[in-house]
Order: sequence, then C-alpha cells, then structure tokens
Amino acid sequence: MNGSFIKRITRNKAFSLAIIMFAVWIIFFLLNHNYFVGENFTGIMNTSSLSGTIAIGLACLMMSGSIDLSAGAEGCFGGVLVALFLRTGMNWILALLLTILCGVVMGLINAFWVNAMKLMPFISTIAMSSIYQAMAVIVTKSSEIAIGEGPFTRLGTGHIGIFPLPFIIMVILMVIYGLMLNYTKFGRRLILCGGNRTAARLAGINHQKITTIMFANCGAISALAGAILAARMNNGGPRAVLGAEMDAMTAAIIGGVSFLGGGTSGMGTIFVALLLVNSFNNGLQVIKVNSFWQFVTRGGLLILALIVDYFRESRRQKALKQGAKV
Amino acid sequence: MTEVNTSVNTDRNAGGKGMALEVDNISKSFPGVKALQNVSFRAEPGKVLALLGENGAGKSTLLKVLSGDIKPDEGEVRIGGVPQKFDAPVQAIQAGISVIYQERQLVPSMSVLENIYCGDLPATKAGFLKKKEMRQTAERIIQEFGLEIDPFEKLGRLSTAHQQMVEIMKAYRRDSQIIAFDEPTASLTDKEVTILFDLIQRLKEQGKIILYVSHRLAEIFQITDEIVVLKDGRMVKQLKTAETNEAELIKAMVGRDIGDTYSSLKRNDKMGDVLLEVNNLTTDAVHDVSFKLRRGEIVGFAGLVGAGRTEVVRAIFGADPIISGEVILDGEKVNFKHPKDAIDAGIALCPEDRKEQGLIRFRSVQDNVCLPVFKKMRKGLILDRKKQEALTEKAVEKYSIRTPTFEKLVVELSGGNQQKVILGRWTSELLTTKLLILDEPTKGIDVGTKAEIYQILCDLAREGKGVIFISSELPEVINIADTIIVMHNGHITGTLAREDATEEKVMSLAMLD
Amino acid sequence: MQTTSKAQKFLKSKTFILLILLAMEVVVFTVLSQGLYINIINIRNILNSIVITAFLTVGAVLLMVRGYVDISASAVGCFTTMMVASLLAAGIPWPLAIIFCLLASAVVGCVNAILITKCGFQPFIVTMAMAQVLKGLQYIIFGTNPIAIKDPTMVALGTHRIAGLIPYTLILALICIAIYGFILSKTYFGKSIYMIGGNPQAANLAGLNPKRMAYILFINDSALAGLAGCLLAFRLKSGALDSITNGQFTGMTGAILGGVSFGGGTGGMFGAFIGMLVISAFKTGLTLLAVPAWWMTFGSGALLLFALAFDHFASFRRTKS
Repeated sequence: MNGSFIKRITRNKAFSLAIIMFAVWIIFFLLNHNYFVGENFTGIMNTSSLSGTIAIGLACLMMSGSIDLSAGAEGCFGGVLVALFLRTGMNWILALLLTILCGVVMGLINAFWVNAMKLMPFISTIAMSSIYQAMAVIVTKSSEIAIGEGPFTRLGTGHIGIFPLPFIIMVILMVIYGLMLNYTKFGRRLILCGGNRTAARLAGINHQKITTIMFANCGAISALAGAILAARMNNGGPRAVLGAEMDAMTAAIIGGVSFLGGGTSGMGTIFVALLLVNSFNNGLQVIKVNSFWQFVTRGGLLILALIVDYFRESRRQKALKQGAKV
Repeated sequence: MTEVNTSVNTDRNAGGKGMALEVDNISKSFPGVKALQNVSFRAEPGKVLALLGENGAGKSTLLKVLSGDIKPDEGEVRIGGVPQKFDAPVQAIQAGISVIYQERQLVPSMSVLENIYCGDLPATKAGFLKKKEMRQTAERIIQEFGLEIDPFEKLGRLSTAHQQMVEIMKAYRRDSQIIAFDEPTASLTDKEVTILFDLIQRLKEQGKIILYVSHRLAEIFQITDEIVVLKDGRMVKQLKTAETNEAELIKAMVGRDIGDTYSSLKRNDKMGDVLLEVNNLTTDAVHDVSFKLRRGEIVGFAGLVGAGRTEVVRAIFGADPIISGEVILDGEKVNFKHPKDAIDAGIALCPEDRKEQGLIRFRSVQDNVCLPVFKKMRKGLILDRKKQEALTEKAVEKYSIRTPTFEKLVVELSGGNQQKVILGRWTSELLTTKLLILDEPTKGIDVGTKAEIYQILCDLAREGKGVIFISSELPEVINIADTIIVMHNGHITGTLAREDATEEKVMSLAMLD
Repeated sequence: MQTTSKAQKFLKSKTFILLILLAMEVVVFTVLSQGLYINIINIRNILNSIVITAFLTVGAVLLMVRGYVDISASAVGCFTTMMVASLLAAGIPWPLAIIFCLLASAVVGCVNAILITKCGFQPFIVTMAMAQVLKGLQYIIFGTNPIAIKDPTMVALGTHRIAGLIPYTLILALICIAIYGFILSKTYFGKSIYMIGGNPQAANLAGLNPKRMAYILFINDSALAGLAGCLLAFRLKSGALDSITNGQFTGMTGAILGGVSFGGGTGGMFGAFIGMLVISAFKTGLTLLAVPAWWMTFGSGALLLFALAFDHFASFRRTKS
C-alpha cells in the first residue's frame, strides 16, 4: 500500500512538474541571488494570475474538444469595458458583473461560428480575436482609461499576507473549477465529450450544448481576468492582455490537456505548469536576459510541451500494444 | 400486459422482466444498398439469441436500429408488445436496450470507473457526484466479473482485453433488460472469454434477453439457445441451437443462387511461370505467410474481416513495413519502401476502402484514371491534356464506365462505376502492371456490375497478369479464384484449389477456433 | 458548343462574383472619395500594397490546396526585412544577402514540416508557436531600431516604377503569380498537389509522396514570405519591425474568397489573385477614407469570417447537389 502510494505520487504529473519547477528556481537562484527575494515572487504571482485565470476557461474549453484563440483579446476588451463602466460612476460590483456578461456574449459569438456555422475553431476564433482587439481600441480611441482608486482597484492591488489578491482570486477559481470538473456530473460529461464524441452521443450527451457553454464560460473568465488586470494597473488598456492566451494554452498543454479533446488534467497540474512557465519567464528577466526572449520561450515552450506530450503518448501506445500481446 | 407499460419511453429499464423483444418487418436502405429487408424475429426473456451471418449480412445495421442510432425505413421494434420509437440512442437505453459495440466507445484518459458510467453518473440534485456510491457500484461490478482492475486506473493503461471487458461492464451497469453483444470475444483472451460466458449465463438466469453476434460457431453452440441467420439483409431462418448443427448453419449463411454467372465466365486456362513468391512474410499484423502466384493465375484470399488479408497485400505493396520474410517478384527479391516502388515494378493495388483510400472523390473521372501516370504525361513542362483525355477515353470504353463527361466528379458516380474507374487506372497501357491486387472490389456494388468485374478479372488473367483477389463473399472467391488461400487471425490456415473448394470447407478454415 | 458552356460556367463561378464585387468596390469607393480613389496616387498605393500580399497569397494557396496552413509566414517576412537590412549594412553584397535570407526562411519551413509530418502535430499550432519564436529572435538578433538600407541597386528595385506607376516589385509579384499559377494548373507538380490535397491516402497508394510534398510546400511558403520581406525592406529603404503583421491572414482570406478551401484539393491561383485584389482594394479604400487603422484590423477579421462563411455555404451547396 505504501509502495503504491509513492508510485502514484511519482507517476503524478504535477509532482514531476513541481520537481522541474524547483530545478528552475534553483538554477535561477544560482545565476542571480535576487531571484528568491519576496518581491520577485510577488511578481511571479501577479503575472501568473493573469494567464492563469485565462487558462481556467481555456483549459475547460479544450477539454470539451474545442479551442478559443481569442481569449486574450476577450481579456483586453474586458479590461477596457470595466474601466468604461466605472467611468460612468457605476457601482463596481455592477460594472464587474456587466463586464463578465459581455465576456459571455463574446464567447457565445465564438460558439455561434463554431457550432452553428461549422467553421474550424482555430481559424474562426483567430478572426474574432482581431475583431475583439480592434473593438477594444476603437471604444477607447487607442488610449488607456484610468480607473480611480477605490474598492475596485484594491481587488487588483490588495494583499492577504504575502499573496496578492489577483493570485488568490485565481486560486479560488481554480479550486471551484477543479471541483466542478472532478465532482460534478456536468464536469465529467464535459470531459467525456472531448474524449470520445461518439461515446458521448450514444450516451445522449449534447456536444454542441456543452461546447457552447464552455465558450461562454471561457469568454466570461477571460473578461474577468482582463478586468482584474485593469484593477491592478489602475487603467484599462486595449492591448494589455494580448499574448496571455499563449501562456495559458502552454500551461494547459504542459499540464496535460491535449489539443481538441482527449487529454484531461486536474487544475492542480495546470497550476503547477503555470507557475513553471511564469517562473521561467520571470527568471529570464531577473538574470537580465533581453526581454524579447520571452517571445522565444513562449513559442519554444509550447513546441517543447507538444514534443514531450508526443513522446509520452507514443511510448504509452507502445506499452499498450505489448501489454495486449502478452 | 400492454396496459401496464405505456410509459416505456420515459421510465428507465421499463422493459420489465418477462417481456419479449419483437423485431417486426424491419427494412433499411442506404444509397445503393438494401441493408435490411423485412427482418422479423422474436427474442424470449431468459434466452440467448445469436445473430449469425456473413460480413454485410446486416447484423450491424440491425444492432444500430435496436440501439436507436439509425431509424428503420419500415417496421417496428416492440418490447412486451409495446411499439418503441427511438429518436436518439439515449432513448433506447432508457427503454432498456444496451448495445455493446465492436468498436469500443471508451475514453482512454478517464478512469475505469467513469468509463463504466459513461456520463450517466449518479449525482445529487445540485449536480455533485455521489463518489461513494460510484465507487461501491464499480467495485461490485468488477468483483462480479472476477477481474482485478483498479476502478481508479486510467482506462488507457489497461490491456485491450480488459478495455473490452470495461465496455461490457458499461452495459451491465445499466442493468438493461436487453443486452446485445457485437462480436465481444474478438479481442479477448481465453480467460476473459470464460468470465464473459459465465456472466452471460448469469444474465440469462436473471431473465434478461441476450442478443449475441459472432462469427465463431463454436461459441454460438456453447452459449446460445436460438439462432437467427441473416443473409444479404434478409432473414433466412430462426433455429433452435440444440436442433441444428454446424453444417446446416453454414449452409444457411452462405447458400444462395449462384446461377449462371460463374459458369458463363471466360476463364484463363494457360498458367505461366511463377510471378510472385512470398516466403514467411511477417508484419505487425500477420505471421509467417507464404504463397506463390503464377502468371495468369487468380489467387483468392478468403477469411473474416480482420484476418490479416489486407495487411498481407499492403506489406507486399510497400504500404506497410515488413518485419521479416521475403517477397520475390519475377525471380528477383524485392523490398519496396513506398508504394511508388511497387508500382514501378508492376504491381497495382485497388484498396479495400474505395472512398477513403482509392478515390480522390472531389476530383474528376479523368484525374482519377490518370492518377498514377501523370508523371508519364509530361510534354515539356506541362501535362498533356490530350494524352489524359485519350487514356480516360480508353478506360471508359474498355470498361463501359457510365459517365456523361470526363470532368464529372467521381463522387457522383455509382459504386460500380467508381470501381471501374480504379480498374481503368491500373490497367492503362502506360503502366506495366504484371500483378493486380484487388481488395474487396465488389463491396457495395450491384449484381450486374459484379458480374462485369468478375469477367474483367478473368480477362486480366487471360492477358497473363497475376491477380490477387480478396473477398469476404465466399461464393465469389471460390468460383473466381484458381487457388484459394484462407486466413485466420494473421495466419494462413489453408490453401485449396478451386475444384476442391466448397463454402463449408473455406468457412470452417476461416472460423478455426 | 464547347465555348458557350465554358462561358456559362465562368458566369456561374465564384471568380465572376468576385470580379463583380471588385468592380462594385471601385465604384463605391470612387464615389465616396469623390474621385480620389482612381487618382494616380491612390492607384500607386493600391499597386504597392498588392506586392507583399501577392507573395504571401501564392504560398498560402499552395499550402491550402494541399490542406495545410502556415501562420508563421508573416513572422518570417518580418524577420527577413530586418535580416536583409542588417546583412546589407554589414557590407555583404546584395545577391548573397538575399540568398542568406531565403536560406534562413527555408530552414523555418523545414522545421515546420518536420514537426508536422514526423510528429503529426496540427499545422496551426506548430506554425503559431513558430511565429512567436521568430518574433522574439528577430528582436534579440536585430534589436528594435530600424536599420537603413543604402544599397542603391536594391533601393532602386524597391522604389522605382515603370512609367512612374507600376513598381518593379509588382512586376516581380505578377511574374511570381503567373509562374505559380502555371505550375499549379498545368504541370505534373501542380496536379500532384491537388491529388494529395484531395486524398493523401489514395495519392500515397497511387505512388505519390505526401510527406515529401509537405516539405516542399512548407519550405516554399517560408521562402516566398522571406522574399516578400526582403522586397518590403527595399521599398521602405529600411528593415522595420512589425512590417507585415498578419499579412498571412490577408493572403489566406484572399485565397478562401477565391475558392481555395481549408479542406484542400480545390481552388486555383487566378481566383485567389482576384480574391486578394478584392481585399486590397477594400483596405486601400478604407485607408483613403481615413478610416482608423484599428477599424482595418476589425475589417480583416470580419472579412476572414465572411470568406469562411462564403466558402461554407458554397461547399454546402455543392455537397447537397
């Protein structure tokens, strides 16, 4: 029993990722001793809260068998919208709720193209991405909209202990969605849908309905992430969130979610993967590597994650084949 | 009794105990094929009913009708006398019918437990899962099956046989009154087969109705009580297992009017020297396959779907890697790395799946005929249109392909004409085809065109070409081929000359247990 | 008899609809801009804007006929604008500089093809990640400041015009379209692309080589994008960052409008060329009417969706009939 427990832990993906993460920490610490300064960790937590929040919605959508490349643009639009709503003197809770509602609408538009018009999710959400981006710039006339200090900005800048509030919000959301995925009927049906569409259909599960909900959910969460970023930055910038969807996707894939369904992952694994990606990017900054390396690592990590996934999968297939022959 | 059960469609497992399943006059057509014609039978509770028939006899279609996956054109299914109407598979499940498909409908990345439930997880009103109940049920089922499987293990980590057992547990868990098995033993080892048969016995004692589809006659005699024999989408007869024997069953399955089709064929009677020799060929899917083919000879491959026939010819053609063994063509040892090498050496393959592997469906007839020889139609830089037209014209005339223009998309032609397009492709004068391999060339083709294709095969042999002819239709193989090779489970189980071959002999070699 | 049916076929074709659309655009924009649209300066602008898109369209059409897609094309273009400028600034003669740029682009295409054919990844995601990598490498290697190009031959190639109207580079682009159009519609190689795009399995069993084709097409696509980047640098007389952002989407949109489907196996160069003209005419029209740049981004997204929906309904009708 004890042996199998250890085996289970070591087989666990989150565990191996955590080991890699510690290795990354140690390497960067050796390269620059400032890496372990508390401020720096606050920085990691802050940056990972943005892509992490988006990763929640995106990972759920990917598990159900679709993808949304406009998540970053939805976030931009969310940040801008919340700033605009607040400028009208609206109560901040109402403003936030309205922003999330707009996110839902954006997600539903994506779902319309994919489910009703049968377009490929990749290409149609890329197209929607440029539309949302453009709209964010258009409504702000390409400038950043300031948000006055108040309860709303505290949502972005506040701390509990050493943990920044955005990070805590992300963790809470991860816990909620993790519970949803693992402990509710809906969550399991969602994963079944992504895993085997025919089996889902034969079991009477409506695939389109589930992806539509997950698109709306992804839009809502992305808009929320944008709004929180706006609160942290004290303004809503039309380009603030761009590129975060790449980090979110990378974290999800490293965490084991596979493209267009099939793979699943616990939110915990995604959380570790996310910290790993952000620690790495942050480490590069701390050792004062040219900041543009981030683009390279963003793409490179994604490709690396895919390759590792590929080898793991092919090894598993091989083992399976041999197992079947015995 | 009918009054009690009027709300059958809404209540789960409403098909209560003691009610019979009646299939009444079911017909279903697909474009070009009549898959089922007026099939009727009755299955009694507490009995195991076998559905027996060759490939394409309509067994799978019938199961799909029962599972609500397709709607019949005519006829109805009744449970306990109440007519059932299924708009979606889930309604059939609710009415108490579970079908265990041959293609496993499982999710490798999910746990065994969840695959057993397949989305139908027990939950509280708020939607939270009752994990304890799930675990207990799953453990109980696994225990009843007598297997050692961890319910929390990912399904993908299980062996194929255990995965198949999970598929069966899925239906067992639903506690349906009617359970249909589609070739359940295909990927099981002896141990699991024993477990499965015990289980079926228990289900039978509980008064459930079991439908059992299998090719393996031995199994059918072992566990079934009654047998429904299907042939070409029609029901031949319903028999009591105890009152019949293997010979009678095989006769019922395969016996049909052969007519004059075969006797009127103009055959080749002059065999040449050895053209192809295959020695101890082994790949991922086949083991130790050896045979010889002479010029002007038609070698037929018989066997069940999945016996390894397609894999043999794909390996010869260079489409799949060879692990060991040798292929000798025209006295020379060859080792093709790519189909292109095989084509250059004079081999042609008409693949089994016309739609997916043979044709480029949304291109013209002309493109499809000229596909392998475009390279030989270059005139300077450009492709010579006239040559393409001339070649297509020859093929169209030679095989009387019915198409209004050469520009017609090949997807718009009938199945028979599509097959002739492929034959035209491989027999053009621009190719030096010595050996033609045809994998199920008559699948989904009407009777008249079938006869034409038989004659084309004989003509090819008369021209001195070698022909390998794979077919799952027994009369075809034993009447067309000069030599019949029977395969089972990746091995050659017998070689017969046409004079000695009977359907019964071939069938028993193909079903070797 | 034959000719009338051909004429009828043309009247029913997508290309014809696009030509009408193009004519309508010209009329509408001319009216809206009070004649400025057909002014010589604007026509120059239109002609200029076509050049880069043309190269990207050509590459995209070939890939899409095969059933692939390459998101990294414009990143390759951006990369080579900087690369060619810095090579020239380092005193390397222009023929060598261009050859180096093309080689670098070809390497990118080759890596894409390896990841797609060997590991079976989605072309979409691989090339998207590749675009990110290239963007970063470009900043790291060449810095963020524009690099001036002083080589007189190359500046002349980039900026001179025949009769003051038609840029040399446009001639190059048109030649490129003509050559590739010819290859695609008339040669053995072009036919092979259609066949493999139509059904890779069947083509493989008929002796064609889909894998080798993937390498050729991805390398070709990257090289064309690299060439486009060089030419752009010559026109702008400098290597500038973000010069071709999202150019590949314009190319792709044009191709889809012109009848090249995402599924592969259909469409042709001429249709794609007209499709590209429709888009370029639209974009320059908007610029002329002083529509803000971000509306253009909006427009390009909307156009892509429009093209996809257009294609969807067209193929829907086809399968129905």
